[in-house]
Amino acid sequence: MLAMATRFAVPCPWEKSVENLLTRDNLQKWAPLLVLFALVLFFSIANPNFLSMRNFARISILSTPALMIGVGVTFIILMGSIDLSMEGAVAVCAVLFATMFTALGGSLAGWGWLAIPGALFVGALFGLINGLVHVGLKIPSFMASLSMGFVGIGLSLLITGGDRIRVEDPLFRSLLTYRLGGFPVMVYVALAALLIAGFIQGQTKIGRNFYAVGGGEDLAHASGLNVPRVRIIGFVIAGIFYALGAMLAVAQIGIAETVTGRNLMFVSITSVVVGGTALWGGAGGVWNTLVGVLIVNVIGNGMVVMGLPSYVQDGVLGLLVIIAVYLSTDRRSLSFVK
Amino acid sequence: MSFIKEFIEQETVNRRNLLLASAYGLGGAAALRTLGATPARATTANPTIAWSYRDRTNPYWNYIVSGGEAFVESLGKPKDALVNLINEGSSEKSLADVKALLGKEGSNLALAIDANDAPNCRPVVEAVAAAGAYVSTIWNKTDDLHPWDFGDNYVSHMTWSDEGPAEKTARILFDAMGGKGGVVHLGGIASNNPAIERLNGLKNALKDYPNVQLLDAQPADWDTQKANQIMASFLTRYGDDIKGVHCANDTIAYGVIEALRAEGIEGMPIVSYDGNQQAVELVAKGEILATVFTNPHWGGGITAALAYYAATGAFKPSAEPKEHREFYGPTILVTPKDAAEFKAKYLDSTPKYDWKDFWGPGNGQIKYK
Repeated sequence: MLAMATRFAVPCPWEKSVENLLTRDNLQKWAPLLVLFALVLFFSIANPNFLSMRNFARISILSTPALMIGVGVTFIILMGSIDLSMEGAVAVCAVLFATMFTALGGSLAGWGWLAIPGALFVGALFGLINGLVHVGLKIPSFMASLSMGFVGIGLSLLITGGDRIRVEDPLFRSLLTYRLGGFPVMVYVALAALLIAGFIQGQTKIGRNFYAVGGGEDLAHASGLNVPRVRIIGFVIAGIFYALGAMLAVAQIGIAETVTGRNLMFVSITSVVVGGTALWGGAGGVWNTLVGVLIVNVIGNGMVVMGLPSYVQDGVLGLLVIIAVYLSTDRRSLSFVK
Repeated sequence: MSFIKEFIEQETVNRRNLLLASAYGLGGAAALRTLGATPARATTANPTIAWSYRDRTNPYWNYIVSGGEAFVESLGKPKDALVNLINEGSSEKSLADVKALLGKEGSNLALAIDANDAPNCRPVVEAVAAAGAYVSTIWNKTDDLHPWDFGDNYVSHMTWSDEGPAEKTARILFDAMGGKGGVVHLGGIASNNPAIERLNGLKNALKDYPNVQLLDAQPADWDTQKANQIMASFLTRYGDDIKGVHCANDTIAYGVIEALRAEGIEGMPIVSYDGNQQAVELVAKGEILATVFTNPHWGGGITAALAYYAATGAFKPSAEPKEHREFYGPTILVTPKDAAEFKAKYLDSTPKYDWKDFWGPGNGQIKYK
């Protein structure tokens, strides 16, 4: 007993450092990455084919559109709001991109490239309307964005009449077909966009303002921050990333249609949350989202590689969200949950 | 809070009506069985025509609707005289929409519907029969539900026997593989009849090809993106063992082709189903070896026509033989050598159909196992 008591009273230096490493903060910070490594290890043991460059390339191709959408919505979630309009936004951007691209000659080599800034503008405009509806009409972001999502689906259906628009320009499709170091060009495009998002988040005033609004809106407001303006800018930036995601999704399949964004709402928000960004805002960021997107897609790929049926996959993802939300927040700091 | 009270009152009244109507319907059905007579229901001169189906984002349903619209136009009405009920894959919404429309139109309705899944067909048909309106169904229906049990109100059911054609496409696939090697199947929504039948067709063909092995079958939910993702995972799991791909429909095949394109894999034998425009073009190019056309344009038109002409009294369903109440729709196999001719005949120009020739293009009475 005495020995134990002295041990607790005078901890060895290495024990101290282990304690420091295992603090709740550190666990929260690194848990998603550890989960990702554990999953990769698990699936590699289950089927050695999993651990190959070609498979990682496959996972990364599937991850790129979801990563862009996830990065976009990360900014919104950082502010403590939520955006559920991505499926509609992606549908509108994809369909308008393909329409403009075809109308401008259907080739990146010609005037078709103008469709890219065109689609980014459409995304920004969609985000702007979303933000104005939310802030201007004082409708909760949940409802405003969900409704805007439906508007987007309806609009894209109106434009296409339910048909698919094919984008077959070999130069545009080289985003998927041309590989550098084993990975298609679209993966590098997505990484570049992620770096820009990281820059916005870490190095710009608006990035810090997102954290300020999410961390404590009243304080931010009291310190003279124009909170409504920050929110609207957040939605505009998110819209631009949705447009990027839409174009990458079109590059991946070669088809723009109303269902181009299907399932992206679930996948992107799951990714953001699993990556460790808190739903109440103020903590996390786009790097977390990268890890989250990889976790979700590694599970999707790994389950099929292991030969498990798809409903098990959905179930596991659902459980994962619950665990992630539980781990990513310090429950003692919450007085109530709504 | 008065609106809540009002709502509750309305609901109570509705429930009473529903109970009364069901009691009446059951009584009617019982009387029918005991007396063996057909009930005389008033027919209506100008019924509202409605089509209830899954979604507008799928080319298949677009063809169905185009057929419905062509039929409505053949009556001298504008296209938008066709009421579209879209259930978005929800049986609950499908039934609720039908009940709402019955509430508005009463017996003055000719409804064409795919009830989304088989169990939902019965409540839909019962609701229509109770209102004295007319319904024709396609695809989803349980085996114990028959039009002739509802007098004239349940006009007809058409489905497509997919096992045979899916078996034919599987044989074309296996022959292209040289009769040996691994094959993967990407299916539709697991509980859908056509998804089950198309997989069964593949399994039937496998019996004659002992050297072909079914490596895996996963549901891709008729969805291009999901098919793309599953095919990529299949490539990791089975790699070069995959010598052929059997797809449950064309939209799945598009996702598979893109997954293969991403890997730089060319010349993989693929077969699909539905005969959509893009798929037929791919068949003509040899990228897909076969697809099966079920003529959804005709199916969409004739199903609406059957309900409509029964409602107007132009023909009396209960006086028709059973093979005119439950029958198979047409299927046409499209392969590279006839793709161009097929495309010119059915896709580039829409043939004019005689919407009173209800049973000509059909494939005989439905057989249950």
